[in-house]
Amino acid sequence: MDYADSDATAPRDPGPGPGWQTDLSRAPAATKIVIAGGFGVGKTTFVGSVSEITPLRTEAVMTTAGEEVDDHTAVPAKATTTVAMDFGRITLDTDLVLYLFGTPGQQRFWFMWDDVVRGAIGAVVLVDTRRLADCFPALDYFESCRLPYVVAVNHFEGTARHSPEAVREALSLEPDVPVITMDARHRITVVETLLTLVGRALETTPGAVSRAVHRAAPSAAPEPSRGGRCDGSS
Amino acid sequence: MSTAAPALRAPAGPVPERPTARVRPYSLTGGRGRCGHVLLMETFVAALADADEGRGDPGAVAAAPGGALASWLLPEVRAVLGLCRRLRSVAEVSALLRMPLGVVRVLLGDLADQGRIRVYGTGHLTGRPDRALLERVLSGLRRL
Amino acid sequence: MRRILIVGAGQSGLQLALGLQAKGYDVTVMSNRTPDEIRSGRVMSTQMMFRTALRYERELGLNFWEGLAPRALGLGFSVAGTVPGVPGVQRPVDWIGRLDGYAQSVDQRVKMAGWLDAFAERGGRLVVHAAAVSDLDFLAARHDLVLVAAGKGELVSLFRRDPARSPYTTPQRALALSYVHGLGPRAEHPEYDAARCTIVPGVGELWVIPTLTTSGRADILFWEGLPGGPVDVFQDVEGPGEHLTRTLELLEWFVPWEYGRATAVELTDPGATLAGRYVPAVRDPVGRLPSGGLVLGVGDAVVVNDPLTVQGANSAAKCAASYLASIVERGDEPFDADWMRTAFERYWASARHVTRWTNTMLGPRSPHIRALIDAAAGSQPVADRIANGFDDPSDFDDYFYDAASAGAYMSEAKVPAAGGT
Repeated sequence: MDYADSDATAPRDPGPGPGWQTDLSRAPAATKIVIAGGFGVGKTTFVGSVSEITPLRTEAVMTTAGEEVDDHTAVPAKATTTVAMDFGRITLDTDLVLYLFGTPGQQRFWFMWDDVVRGAIGAVVLVDTRRLADCFPALDYFESCRLPYVVAVNHFEGTARHSPEAVREALSLEPDVPVITMDARHRITVVETLLTLVGRALETTPGAVSRAVHRAAPSAAPEPSRGGRCDGSS
Repeated sequence: MSTAAPALRAPAGPVPERPTARVRPYSLTGGRGRCGHVLLMETFVAALADADEGRGDPGAVAAAPGGALASWLLPEVRAVLGLCRRLRSVAEVSALLRMPLGVVRVLLGDLADQGRIRVYGTGHLTGRPDRALLERVLSGLRRL
Repeated sequence: MRRILIVGAGQSGLQLALGLQAKGYDVTVMSNRTPDEIRSGRVMSTQMMFRTALRYERELGLNFWEGLAPRALGLGFSVAGTVPGVPGVQRPVDWIGRLDGYAQSVDQRVKMAGWLDAFAERGGRLVVHAAAVSDLDFLAARHDLVLVAAGKGELVSLFRRDPARSPYTTPQRALALSYVHGLGPRAEHPEYDAARCTIVPGVGELWVIPTLTTSGRADILFWEGLPGGPVDVFQDVEGPGEHLTRTLELLEWFVPWEYGRATAVELTDPGATLAGRYVPAVRDPVGRLPSGGLVLGVGDAVVVNDPLTVQGANSAAKCAASYLASIVERGDEPFDADWMRTAFERYWASARHVTRWTNTMLGPRSPHIRALIDAAAGSQPVADRIANGFDDPSDFDDYFYDAASAGAYMSEAKVPAAGGT
């Protein structure tokens, strides 16, 4: 691949962006929300409905062998699969930018989840009621790392509507986990879902308002981790 | 450009043969981690003004701490620096240059060490966002 | 300056990284976790290290915690069973071997986080990223050598299992460990620390290992259960509290003398428990990437033994020391496939003893091995020799693996005639 002229080889460059992109003296605070769920559940649609840029995609090539399976066979280098992660961006203020990352749903991609979850506000678990089990790995994962999450039932036209309570029961969710019925194609319901998640994250964040400065500065002294991150080894 | 790191205080010196008192977490390594840039997917980076291709001093780069000789000549590095004339997130660099995320992280780390790009903090680093940030996100979303 | 990329931040990867760094190599470490995440995460191992492995760390100036960690001066062995005329579970075999040099365990959460900090402070590049094949494909062309030192995760599948060196195709034990504070000393030798192994025939083994963890001195209660047996009950536990409860119930039932000193224990922290199982395997050390680039496997990525003989960290340290010598001796010559295989075989020359011994101990214990374990109770030299085999398992070659050499050794050691247990 030729990287000689980056902008020319970047067909999906969103083009001139918000003003903060060109003021290099400072950067907005950046934060993110994870959109998880099974294949075809509407993660990219969800991201695209609210993103100010056409969703971008980053890809990783993995071997096709399962992580915990020792299948006694050679894994030729050709046995690889490409995992894509689509993401979008919302400028919430001149100094605040929110990223939405749609992550692949299968459990064997946990190593990518660890990466995208680091520092995240929380997760939206998108659910298709016709394939409820597809979201189990995501629920297990976010519960194990205590990441705040909400369940968003993406209602597909022509399918039966299930009450949030029925979904909650089917997924054995704790009573305090919000369940929303929405439509990933409709911006308003996507924003409502995000609002519910951030509200949920606030409920689960310790009380005292920190005096941390959110105006970004070049990376300075690190702070201790607050823990709570998933541990891939578990 | 790397963060100024305090000296390592690895525990040493006289200790009881059988320490019985509990030690506070973290104190065994003298406190918190001191690693430089943790490049999250959403971390912003930008090229420093005099770091554009062709304008850097190759000698200075070669002598820079951690700088690999002439690495600035690599086409990938030029591409990253070109793209980062504007503020970009790490994920954007990966997606727009179609470069694997790990490669982007390695290149950006090198470039930051060489003083050719600036890494902006995210305000909350790798922990969870705090209430103040969440409140701001909430009001930002309400305005959409 | 030669550029080397090391993927993985465990014992082997970081020991090698710090060793290469000290010799002037340009080293990048790719870790899927930050030092703080490692520190506040879950325990990873029992990480027992014996004299030779500790010496390697000391030689590299990496023994930051040597003064703080408890020193195990002995290795105790017991066999649980019945004794005629005595009620309850007893110890028909019970002895302790003295180690020529002490053994130590430093919680890898403490050690790896501290080593990563040291590596970064000494000018090393730490890249926090969960490496995928596509990353390595690109980076292999831009480094003189790429080492994969991640014993878990999908990159391991780059290395083909070697069936000739891997007799087992299924896990041989179910593992469950807990780090605890408040364990009392063993009544027989309250004045010094020792690591203790109890064999519970038909059930599995229990290790009790003194360690240094994030909150100071602690002990590790480590069950190795035969799959499907009464100790293989940790897969569905709900949370660390229940994990410890089950651990203690099994202690009370099968090893009451260890339970007796564990009645007041508490977990060191919420990440203090670990359960799992894996298949012991030896792999082809050379991995080929889609682009044709080569990577060399390190430590657990290429030789992983069951932790029954507590050799994991020990072996990782030996692998790192061996590879470090091979890399330095290579000078400016290319790190090609032939060199990679040669470097691995040099490590395998010592690692094969660990694998053979561990795989032997995993299987049904033959009469001559039981006789040796019995004999050690009546002969301190035999006990000491077995204990020191944990530092250098090549010594077992001389007397452990067949009845003839075991018998010859026991008569040479003037061991009173002993039957099997």
